[in-house]
Amino acid sequence: MSGAKIIVIDDENIVGKMIKATFEKEGYHVETFLSAAPALARLKEESFDVIITDLKMKGIDGMEVLRIVKKEAPGTKVIMITAFASMDSAIEAVRGKVDDFFPKPFKIKDLKACVERLLAQ
Amino acid sequence: MKIVHKIILANTFNILLIALTGFFAYQNLNLLLTKLRYVEIADDMNASFLEMRLSEKNYFLYKDASALKAIQAKLNESKTAMEYGRTDIVKAIGAQSYKQLESSTHAYLQVISSANVNAPAPEELQSRIREAGQKLREFSDHITKMERSNVNRIIADSRTGLFTSLVLILFSALGFSQLISRRILKSLTEIEKVAHAISEGTFTKVQTDLPADQDAVMTFLSRVRCFSFFMPNPSDELGSVMKAINSMSEELKKHEELIIQSKKLASIGILTAGVAHELGNPLNNISMMAQAYSELYDDLGREERLDYMSKIEEETERIREIVKNLLDFSKPKKPNRDEAQVNDVVQKSLKLVQNMISISNININICLADRLPQVYIDINQIQEVLINLITNAIQAATAGDELFIGTRSNADSDRVEIEVRDTGKGIPPEFLPHVFDPFFTTKEASGTGLGLFVSFGIIQNHQGSIRVQSELGVGTCFTIELPAYDKKETSDEWS
Repeated sequence: MSGAKIIVIDDENIVGKMIKATFEKEGYHVETFLSAAPALARLKEESFDVIITDLKMKGIDGMEVLRIVKKEAPGTKVIMITAFASMDSAIEAVRGKVDDFFPKPFKIKDLKACVERLLAQ
Repeated sequence: MKIVHKIILANTFNILLIALTGFFAYQNLNLLLTKLRYVEIADDMNASFLEMRLSEKNYFLYKDASALKAIQAKLNESKTAMEYGRTDIVKAIGAQSYKQLESSTHAYLQVISSANVNAPAPEELQSRIREAGQKLREFSDHITKMERSNVNRIIADSRTGLFTSLVLILFSALGFSQLISRRILKSLTEIEKVAHAISEGTFTKVQTDLPADQDAVMTFLSRVRCFSFFMPNPSDELGSVMKAINSMSEELKKHEELIIQSKKLASIGILTAGVAHELGNPLNNISMMAQAYSELYDDLGREERLDYMSKIEEETERIREIVKNLLDFSKPKKPNRDEAQVNDVVQKSLKLVQNMISISNININICLADRLPQVYIDINQIQEVLINLITNAIQAATAGDELFIGTRSNADSDRVEIEVRDTGKGIPPEFLPHVFDPFFTTKEASGTGLGLFVSFGIIQNHQGSIRVQSELGVGTCFTIELPAYDKKETSDEWS
């Protein structure tokens, strides 16, 4: 769905850059952040459709982002990505009502499909 | 021989010495009493003999017949007294002198008896009487004098004897307790040293055959065979304690090895999870860039395409770095050791980080101790550890903070310590136990979490130890301990 607004939070700046580059080609509006705090501040100013966040981050981590977003902006979908690919963290993330979960490395195509699916709901 | 037996033996020896002294003193006193009794009897007899000679003179001068009777009576009196005190006299002057005294008295009595009471004695008899009287008196006088001097000698001898035995007893008691306690203390010090070492995690052994003593007394004693009594004996109580401590140390060492082994297994778990995460990120970056590259190929300019490729190269470099560090840890290179001075290594390391220090604007304070013992180290590896610690300290510090680097040796000069201390932000107490864990880092994205992990491995390979103390807001202090170089020990250990 073109025009949808997405926030990407990951301390690896390449992740944000690549998602931005590939998603904007499809007409999405993507804003990238290296940590959660400024992203959450930005979310207060404006509403976003999807948040793609890393799980393991310094400061506010992915789980905390999920909790805050679900409380402050329940309509916003949250996709978790992480290089910490153990089943435990996946289960924990799902239990926290995350909308989807991607272990790194993942296919950009799959991520796009996921975003489209979530936006269609 | 056990120490308790040694103590019993020594005490028995002392008691025997005291008893012997007492016995001799008693004997001397008895002898003295006999002699004194004799002197008393002899004094009486001498007085009688003097009276006899006076009566003798009266008889010669005044032809007084009653004088002869008086002499006879006195002589008989003396004879009775002598017979009565016979045992005492024999004890005092001996049987021979007694016999001589008796025969002299008898001879005098005979001569006196042969004189006629009513008629004056002829010249010849007179001179015989005089001679016998004089002989008796002289002999009695002589032995009395001799016995008097004997009494004096016995008193003097007893005095020196008593004094000597007192000194001997004192020396024996004090000297023995001193030697035994010295031997016990020496072993205890040795045990204490080992206990201390164990508490610090080095499982050394007590030397059961203690090396030749530094102090002169013990060196002397160890050379003289009969004094081996005071020397450490592996079969006595302390020897058993030492043996027990040694076996405990051995067991602890074995257990520590087991613990290290299980810790290593646990680290492998942490390591695997860490590796998954650490490698996951650059892998994902490469994957994403490759996917984006294909997807955006037509839209990308030449410069952008090259930029993608160089970023991919950077990420592979990141992976290579992680793998290299991992290999460094899992398969530590055999240290290429050399005799070295810790101070030189510190100076060299400082040169390498000079630039970093001057940019960071922190005050550096270096305090290197003189005359440190040599260490046997792989200079490059220790340098790597130091650079690691210094870099960490610099990164934890802000401008104006202080970095202290010091070296010193412990009291026994068998270990050298290097301290790297900063007044930076410190490590939270909950993180402190994990600083040497693989992939543990408090630095944002800039740390691999392998620096201290690798440093720990290096120091362990050098039979040293590394410990950390830290307080939030006060600073952090890392202390490295390396064993001093001992040529005897190290020669074949690394071959």
